[in-house]
Amino acid sequence: MSSVPVEQPAVTAALETPSRGFWSEAWRQFRRRKLSLAALAFVIGMGVSALFAPAIAGTKPLVTRYKGELYFPAMAYYNRSWENAIFRTQDKFRGRYPQNLKQKDPESWAIWPLVYQDPQRRLYRDEWEGIPPNPTGAKGKPYLYYLWLKGWDSLFGTNYVEEEFGELLKDGPLPFNLFGATDRGVDVFAQMVHGAQTAMLVGFVSMGIAAAIGITTGAAAGYFGGWIDILLSRVIEVVMCIPALVLILALLAIVERPSIWHIMVVIGITGWTGIARLTRGEFLKLKQMEYVTAAKALGAGRARIMFRHILRNALAPILVPIAFGIASAILVESALSFLGFGDPTRPSWGKLLDQGRDSIQEMWWLILFPGLAIFFTVLAYNLIGEGLQEATDPRMRQAGH
Amino acid sequence: MSSPRWLILLLWTATLPCFALAGCGGSSSSKPGPATAENGKAGDGGSSQGSGEASSDEPTVLLEPYDPPTLDELNAKVEWEDRPVLDAMEMLREKQAGEQPLVSVEEALKLRNTSHENNAKILSALGRLPESDDQVDLDATIVRHLSGDLKSTNPIMTSAAVESDYHGVTGISLLSFDWNMQAFGAAEVIESWQTSKDRMYDKVVLRKDLTWSDGKPLTAHDVVFSFQTIMNPKVPVPAVRSGTDELRWVEAYDDYTLVFFHKEALAVNSWNILFPIIPKHIYENSVAEDPTMQNSEYHVKFEEQPVVSGPYRVVSRRRGQEVVVERRDEWSTFNGQEVRRKPHFKRIRFLVIEDPNTSLLALKKGDIHETLITADQWTQQTNDDDFYARNTKATGLEWTEFHICWNTKSPFFSDKNVRWAMGYAFDHDEMLEKIFYGLYEPAVGVFHPDAWMAPKTPPKPLKQDLDKAEELLDKAGWEDSDGDGTRDKEINGELVPFEFSIIYAQGSTNAEKVCNLLRENLDQIGIICNPRPLEWTVLQEMTQNHKFHAVMGGWGTGTDPYTLENIFKTGAERNYGEYSNKKVDELFAQGMKEFDQEKRADIYRQIFMQLYEDQAYTWLFHRSSFYGFNKSLRGYVFSPRGPYSYSPGFESIWMVKP
Repeated sequence: MSSVPVEQPAVTAALETPSRGFWSEAWRQFRRRKLSLAALAFVIGMGVSALFAPAIAGTKPLVTRYKGELYFPAMAYYNRSWENAIFRTQDKFRGRYPQNLKQKDPESWAIWPLVYQDPQRRLYRDEWEGIPPNPTGAKGKPYLYYLWLKGWDSLFGTNYVEEEFGELLKDGPLPFNLFGATDRGVDVFAQMVHGAQTAMLVGFVSMGIAAAIGITTGAAAGYFGGWIDILLSRVIEVVMCIPALVLILALLAIVERPSIWHIMVVIGITGWTGIARLTRGEFLKLKQMEYVTAAKALGAGRARIMFRHILRNALAPILVPIAFGIASAILVESALSFLGFGDPTRPSWGKLLDQGRDSIQEMWWLILFPGLAIFFTVLAYNLIGEGLQEATDPRMRQAGH
Repeated sequence: MSSPRWLILLLWTATLPCFALAGCGGSSSSKPGPATAENGKAGDGGSSQGSGEASSDEPTVLLEPYDPPTLDELNAKVEWEDRPVLDAMEMLREKQAGEQPLVSVEEALKLRNTSHENNAKILSALGRLPESDDQVDLDATIVRHLSGDLKSTNPIMTSAAVESDYHGVTGISLLSFDWNMQAFGAAEVIESWQTSKDRMYDKVVLRKDLTWSDGKPLTAHDVVFSFQTIMNPKVPVPAVRSGTDELRWVEAYDDYTLVFFHKEALAVNSWNILFPIIPKHIYENSVAEDPTMQNSEYHVKFEEQPVVSGPYRVVSRRRGQEVVVERRDEWSTFNGQEVRRKPHFKRIRFLVIEDPNTSLLALKKGDIHETLITADQWTQQTNDDDFYARNTKATGLEWTEFHICWNTKSPFFSDKNVRWAMGYAFDHDEMLEKIFYGLYEPAVGVFHPDAWMAPKTPPKPLKQDLDKAEELLDKAGWEDSDGDGTRDKEINGELVPFEFSIIYAQGSTNAEKVCNLLRENLDQIGIICNPRPLEWTVLQEMTQNHKFHAVMGGWGTGTDPYTLENIFKTGAERNYGEYSNKKVDELFAQGMKEFDQEKRADIYRQIFMQLYEDQAYTWLFHRSSFYGFNKSLRGYVFSPRGPYSYSPGFESIWMVKP
């Protein structure tokens, strides 16, 4: 009989607190999936490092006080014109800050990025006292590998450092190329950090475009039905038949100065069909719901019903193809760069892979590090997508329990 | 074995790995005529399309009928000059007799080719001809590497550089040129060669001991028939028609005496008589039935088992995989007498491997005996015991130059000062030392400094000098007037920022590296340069229509400098940068009319200097050729066009007795 008094307050408590909303329930479910959560953390970490890439690796100071003024030359990595012209055409720094700052204004000071390496060019001799130049050819072995071998040697008494790095160490201190350097002497770590920007940008922008088109089209088709549905569904089918890669290759041949933005637009305008179909399905289902009828009865406008009432409830399953889409957009960009069709002025993981292809036997680091980056990023997005799918689909949740 | 007549003269080089392998894939053609060399993707070039279309619709008349004078009339009218008829192998033997090997063969085989000295040692010891045939393994089979399949075994259908190696051993050529690119009549094929004083006629007498591989004698009528077939508008000849079409007529006065009639009196007419020869008795009637020479059952049969005139004949062919040719005994013995040297190999197997990494692996495994290797492979993948276990490697200078071509009609580069500024802005040392590891020589102009037509004291190679570059840009009016960090200039009332694209062939790693270095250097002086890789056909179209600001490319050497006319004369076909200078135009015209070699050289030297003055291009480097050879091979000698594309070329290579 003792159970009654215990149960009683529990029931009332449940009645008093408002039931969990769809989103908070989804988040609660999502949190339970450790892998998905780790993936989300990975993606966020990647996003942050992409955003602050110039602060992690670069050769331009983040902040400098020069001739009495504050400047932010590292902004040039986001947009060339954000670097003050005083360093370019006026005082002729020629892209070499450390010595020019000292020479032209001994009073100046600067805050430097964590790693003094450029994603676009190799480090030359005497750029910064004490920092050795990047070697070209197959000599730019990863610093990380050096540390690893050193640790191994001290643990097991082997002599791998001498074997692998002996010749390089004779030439003086080892250049600080964490992940090695390409055969042109460009630091792989710097390229990967800045390349993360490219990957993130491609993923988000192209899927943003795709989502905008896909949701609008799908919503219109599902909500209005009838001939609009028939027409839009045919359009979706037609677009599905267009191979994005071929379209991109054709576009690159036409455009005077093709850039990553063109690629993103093409991926966006060809990759929305899955989203549109899903949205259409959700809308077909949800427009039958009582709350929609209620909203209609209250005199809400079509747009209001579609986007405030239905879309909110349809959005969760739609996020799933978007997450997968980001992963595939990153893959497409890498593939294009790998084939040599990427934006040549932008560092990218695929481009590193491409450079590693010719010398795979000697320069394994050109394959390993960007390969891992692509693998983990794509995997993370897929895990997030999967987590979302499971978290928002009550049927799968039940099946899982 | 005569000489490799399938010359790639000028090549607009893509350095795409496969092209690089093919010696830069140009359509190879028999003549050094300017129009002969097409670009990279052989056969897709203008001439093939043009002729192909012509054959399908209304065939235009390519050859007007001509009533040649009789030989007596001609002899009465014309003053003949004897031209040299030489044996290339004897010439090489004489040359080598005066040279002592720097090291013994054993030492050379142990050497690692890590320096210029070692390269010279290896070539001096292993590049020698055999002292006698006793040293040579005459029963040997050599496996050669082909970087792509033959499109056709019919020599007049040749269109790609890869076919030149095959045609070089199965065909004959009336003329050859040696390692200094000097021309002479091929003694194995002709008895005499005379040219009229006014250069309007060439008279060639064939040797009487030439036979086809089916036993029929090869006569002057075969040559005439070949000429007429090439000029037959119904036959879709891809490449060899250009140059040949400069001939007015070819007449056989008896079975062995040929006279070639030229259209104009030009110094370089003789090159046009170099077209491939096909057997008249095989094709005489069949060409009319099947002008494609490829489709009918009869032609397919001869495509697989061609009747050839050279030292080797085809024994088997598997498309896409290999072609095996075997020595013809009739080549060296005629009526029981030895009339020519026996070729050094019993069999040659041409193995088709398209990917350079695979071909290097095949060489290491011993599956092939020789292959072209890339600069990266040379520096990085051919230094270990694994490579030297079976092979050695050697390099030779080529006269191929690489450059950046500026569009002189572009608002950016119309001013000579700007073009000079580009030359000074570019970090030549970084390119030579770091991109090419010191393997290539700097280029200053259109000719290699060793060439006979190059200035005796050529200008010094440019060095990077950013101050000078900026000074020149300021002088040309390109200053940062709006203070945005990029140079600009007011053109037609509009402020134009100095931002341009440099285009290059997709997949060419060398070009990509060079263009990115240029981008980096120009960024330092406030100019935005966007490297832009383009798919080959798009690149060709853009360059031919002058729709570019800058393009990176390369030209291989012609056997004669007149081939440059096609590149630098005002309005010329391949004057992509629309360079125009009256003085140069006049000098080209003079060069064609001047018959004296030294005076001609002088004219071309002036052209060289004028082009340099005007910086029509920014010349970058001369590419070397790199080859891996099996240790059993000897006798390889490098010419300005690599170890094969000259005379004796492949003929001098031999295998030691095991």
